[in-house]
Amino acid sequence: MKIAVLVSTGRHPVSGATVLSRLEAQAIRLAAGLGEPLGLHAGPEQAVLREALGQGLVRGEHIVVPDGVDPVPALAARLAATKPDLILAGRRGQGGDETGLVPYALAETLDLPLIPDVVAMASDDEAGTLRLDQSLGRGALRRVLVRGPLVVTIHPDAPAPFAYAYGQARRGTIVPLDAAPGTVEGTGPTVEERPYRRRPKLVKGAPTGGSAAERLKAATGEAGTAASGRLLVDPDPDEAAREILAHLRQIGVLAPPTRPSIP
Amino acid sequence: MTGPVLLTTLFPGLVWAMAALALVQVWRRAALWRAGAAAPVAWLDGLAKLPRRYLVDVHHVVARDAYASRMHAVVAGGLLAASVLTALAILPPLAGSRIYWVLVALAFAVTAVGSFLVGARRYPEKQKRLSAGRFQILPFLLVAYAAGGTLTALLLALGGGGGVLAPLALLLAAAGGLGLAFEVRHGPMRHAAAGALHLVAHPRPGRFEGRPDTALQPLDLDAPRLGSEMPADFTWNRLLSYDACVSCGRCEIACPAFAAGQPLNPKRLIQDLVAGLSPAEPAYAGNPYPGGREAEGERGPLARLIGPDARIHPDTLWSCTTCRACVEECPMMIEHVDAVVSLRRHQTLERGALPEKAVGPVTDLRQAGEPGGRSLAARTDFAAGLDLPVLDGRDGVDVLLWLGEGAYDLRYGRTLRALVRLLRQANVDFAVLGAEERDTGDLARRLGDEATFQSLARANIATLARHRFGRIVTADPHALHALRNEYPAFGGHYTVMHHTAFLLELIRAGKLVPNRLEDVSVTYHDPCYLARYNGETEAPRAVLDAIGVSRREMGRSGRRAMCCGGGGGAPVSDVPGERRIPDLRMAQAAETGAGIVAVACPSCTAMLEGVPDRKAEIRDIAELLLQSVEAGR
Repeated sequence: MKIAVLVSTGRHPVSGATVLSRLEAQAIRLAAGLGEPLGLHAGPEQAVLREALGQGLVRGEHIVVPDGVDPVPALAARLAATKPDLILAGRRGQGGDETGLVPYALAETLDLPLIPDVVAMASDDEAGTLRLDQSLGRGALRRVLVRGPLVVTIHPDAPAPFAYAYGQARRGTIVPLDAAPGTVEGTGPTVEERPYRRRPKLVKGAPTGGSAAERLKAATGEAGTAASGRLLVDPDPDEAAREILAHLRQIGVLAPPTRPSIP
Repeated sequence: MTGPVLLTTLFPGLVWAMAALALVQVWRRAALWRAGAAAPVAWLDGLAKLPRRYLVDVHHVVARDAYASRMHAVVAGGLLAASVLTALAILPPLAGSRIYWVLVALAFAVTAVGSFLVGARRYPEKQKRLSAGRFQILPFLLVAYAAGGTLTALLLALGGGGGVLAPLALLLAAAGGLGLAFEVRHGPMRHAAAGALHLVAHPRPGRFEGRPDTALQPLDLDAPRLGSEMPADFTWNRLLSYDACVSCGRCEIACPAFAAGQPLNPKRLIQDLVAGLSPAEPAYAGNPYPGGREAEGERGPLARLIGPDARIHPDTLWSCTTCRACVEECPMMIEHVDAVVSLRRHQTLERGALPEKAVGPVTDLRQAGEPGGRSLAARTDFAAGLDLPVLDGRDGVDVLLWLGEGAYDLRYGRTLRALVRLLRQANVDFAVLGAEERDTGDLARRLGDEATFQSLARANIATLARHRFGRIVTADPHALHALRNEYPAFGGHYTVMHHTAFLLELIRAGKLVPNRLEDVSVTYHDPCYLARYNGETEAPRAVLDAIGVSRREMGRSGRRAMCCGGGGGAPVSDVPGERRIPDLRMAQAAETGAGIVAVACPSCTAMLEGVPDRKAEIRDIAELLLQSVEAGR
């Protein structure tokens, strides 16, 4: 299986140093479980690609694209030429010039399906198909069976990246490529950049008026839905089990009881 | 009189034959050492200093066990004297002298006494720390050689030797003597030959010059292979040093990881390096790694040493706290920690096989210059409300205060606040680097990530070159060791002082006037990186004495103190064991009955304070001194 991992120039969230984004490092680890992935980076510098080589990549291709130029056409041209079965990317950018839209733009350009937020991948029994576990948030997963080629973005809940190995970074090869003619133009979608602003968090079901004590009660569960719980002291095990089942059904974790069908 | 004449030829001839056999056995062994990498060795210098290294440095370590010291002096001295004297009897004038043979008989008799001392350690019951196997035969060989030699020499001295007794005595001596010489290849006597050569070609000759030669040697990051994967990756004199191991087990008694039941036994580790080099090595017969894992995998100069399916399990490698207790106790001057770090370097740099939990801190060190991934500007947050001058833009200061990793820790922040207040009181002209201070890279280096260490070292050296300051004072012995001993290899030469030494200087200069805290009993826990790595054990005690507390010593203190478990990346590797190292150390502290355990290192503070059910308080020397200085007001 041919796998391409898109490598972007990330920024460390604290130090601001140029680093490989963690999601892409996780993508490399997932890809390494399926085959030997090829790294693909479009940009002026190859330093990030070198770091990716230290974290599990063996080979990387560096498409030289000047600073500030949209990398999508160059990447799309290269991917259209190499035709990988699977294209992996992070689910969002990590600082720098990233928009997090590249996988979507590529999927659109190449006319491929995109599966977002994947945490695990495995080859299925049937040749050419993949079993992907997609994160739906809060630990919920959805398993999808797909057939390539497709674009997949990685969720932070995927396995942690490989440790960086200096010797492997030194050994890996980077192939510098010129961008396909006609692809080095345009600056991509214009985006507006605004500093992050904290927004007030709305508490669901909280009384808009009332005293602070009432709002606190609503927020901490002393009133509202959470207050409707029942306290059983030293209950009979059967009764306790029934209560728990009833509660789980009420909040939708368990399906409603199936009635025995009447013949 | 053909009997005695024949005997005066045969007896010295036996010793010459022993020497020849021993030489052949050493030669066969040397073929294995040659598999190692090249190393620069000052042969003439080493040879000239061999007697001194043996009689002073080795004896200093051996003498810690009085019985072993006496035993070894008698048996080795006697064996050497008797053998040399007998060998010289090849000269006819000596062979004809009865007085000479009396002398030889005396030397052999001394050896015989020593042989019984050797035997008494192993029979009827072997001391626990010793290895069995071929070592159990050693007393018999010694007794045979010594008794046979004594008898033969006595017969010659008495002019007898014509009877049946002489051949029998000579036969006994030959059986013992040739047996001993044969054992030079695989048995206990290897330690004598390899040990002597090791003292000549020691990879750290500086440790015999009276200074602590403890800095890890820089790794050439352009070398074709980084670190040690197989025995052949070690330099030849390191392979030689592992052959010097006499399996005495002093290291395993000193090792904190072994005591905690983590899968590390320094003796077994060295013996695994020996056995890994040669498939012909007899089976190991000492205490196993805790957990009892048996050796697996291939052997030979090119066999992989580390792996779940190889000779040494990775958990063994990552259990080491790099505390150097084993090195300190080793009478053969073996450098265990260098071996561990060399093996770790290969795991980390070539295979990316760091322990799972250590990956995060090392990644943050590489990317953010700080193992917690925190902002460098937040390092001075502990000093909120204190006036903490930052060096940036100032015209130079006397003292640069290196804060280190502990500054981010809330508990250790208290110590640093105490230190800053003491410096203020003493009117010291000092400043910190503030957001320019990166981690020294100590953690990365001990975990084998030499690339990250070197890049951090170069960045810090470049930062320090931009500022003018007199000397560096730090409360973190790990930072102290890196700055003082390891940065010089990268061009950073500084005068670095530990805060306890600096505070003592201030007290002696009268700039700090401590009041006596009479009713406080304190026991001081020596940090490994201060006591063993830098030989500083006196200043902290002198400060405590100036405060006037009643000071009690733990059973293991000074250069022989036990580690708290916080070094070498052991807390982030977190290899499970049966007990925890800091619990063991706090139990030792509790034996003294002291109410306060004085510490002088952020790692020790964190490890010891994390002990549940603690009876004693953990206080840094700076905190105690501040309390005493302020007690008068």
